[in-house]
Amino acid sequence: MAGTGSRGRAERRSAGELESEVLAALWATERPLTPAEIQHEIGGGLAYNTVHTILKRLYDKGLVLRDADGRRGAYRPAKNAAELTAQAMHEALDRGPDPIAALQQFVTGLSAEEERALRELLAGDGARGA
Amino acid sequence: MRYDVYSPLVLSLLLSAVGPVLARRAAPAVAARVLASAAVLTAAATAWSLLLLAAALIGDTPPVIRAAREHGRPLTDPVPGVIGLAAGLALVVVALRIHRAVRAQRSTRRALRRLTAGQPAGTELIVAASEVPRALAIPGRPGRILVTSAMLSALDPAERRVLLAHERAHLAHGHGALVTAVTLAAAADPLLGPVRSAVVFLVERWADERAAAVVGDRRVTARALARAALCASRARTPCALHFTDRAVTRRIAALRTSPPPSRWPAALAVLALGTLPALLAADATGDLLHLLPGLCG
Repeated sequence: MAGTGSRGRAERRSAGELESEVLAALWATERPLTPAEIQHEIGGGLAYNTVHTILKRLYDKGLVLRDADGRRGAYRPAKNAAELTAQAMHEALDRGPDPIAALQQFVTGLSAEEERALRELLAGDGARGA
Repeated sequence: MRYDVYSPLVLSLLLSAVGPVLARRAAPAVAARVLASAAVLTAAATAWSLLLLAAALIGDTPPVIRAAREHGRPLTDPVPGVIGLAAGLALVVVALRIHRAVRAQRSTRRALRRLTAGQPAGTELIVAASEVPRALAIPGRPGRILVTSAMLSALDPAERRVLLAHERAHLAHGHGALVTAVTLAAAADPLLGPVRSAVVFLVERWADERAAAVVGDRRVTARALARAALCASRARTPCALHFTDRAVTRRIAALRTSPPPSRWPAALAVLALGTLPALLAADATGDLLHLLPGLCG
């Protein structure tokens, strides 16, 4: 259902943006993904070869790993560097209220009542979208 | 001088009253830029006016009064000593607040630079393997997007595209600099606090609108916000729950209607309101120089 409105948009995404999307897709799923699965996941009419090239580039940067024991050709995200990043992030952001003030956070807090309203919204949206 | 010099204070209050109204009605890209510019101008004029009032104390000193008599121009002091003194004290407070704000900004920037330093070159997205759902834009050259693994796994593919487009909009439109500018303005002139809050909210709305345009679907954009907010609120410690300003709910509601019109006339009027204190402060400066014949010959 989602992403159907975005077919044919792939041409307008830059190589760097596609790299981010592939990396995000790998992190979002629990298991390793093959290029074909990634192609299906991010959609937007992306060519298989493009996905392959992007994965190669991410691999060269050490951001993804080839799945050694699993299915051939599957990739998974490199966890070690990301764990160090998480450590640094928590050190930087959790020190006090000040440092965070300058940042753009995607979302902030919710009250219990707001939470209920958003849950209803998602439920309604899902039903309509299905 | 008598009135001009106090006007920035009054106009700060006026801007703080009008700012949130413009923020609700106009396109976020227009309102954010106009309000930030007006706030910076007003804060600068306010600080300058305090400086003028404090400087008027010099007019009370015996050498200046003597010099004025010698020039055959007896001084009529328009600024009572008490007010001059109060302005001097306020100026010290303003200086301290700016100093503190600058230091906070610097420490943030340092911490973020450390975070991005170890990343491979030419990578836009930095993933942190953390259970805390979080996403933010790190300004710089090039700007980076920091997202935690918890946030990525909470969203479906289309929603992840919204998230990335939202953070990209922050970087592409210099939202970090805009927020820094208005934060420093509010540090210099605490009366501008509401304008700062409005701009902080507006840059989020601006990025939402850009993301909706890029993904081409306002409903998916609203859904991504709702999903991310719910996921973040589930992970939050109870004590942090007090901090809620209904910002996300308001942003989602805005995405469920059509994009707001620019309303340039109203925006320009607010910008003019922001320029006024600077003009009046300049006028007051002329008056003060005129008052100090002993110093200015």
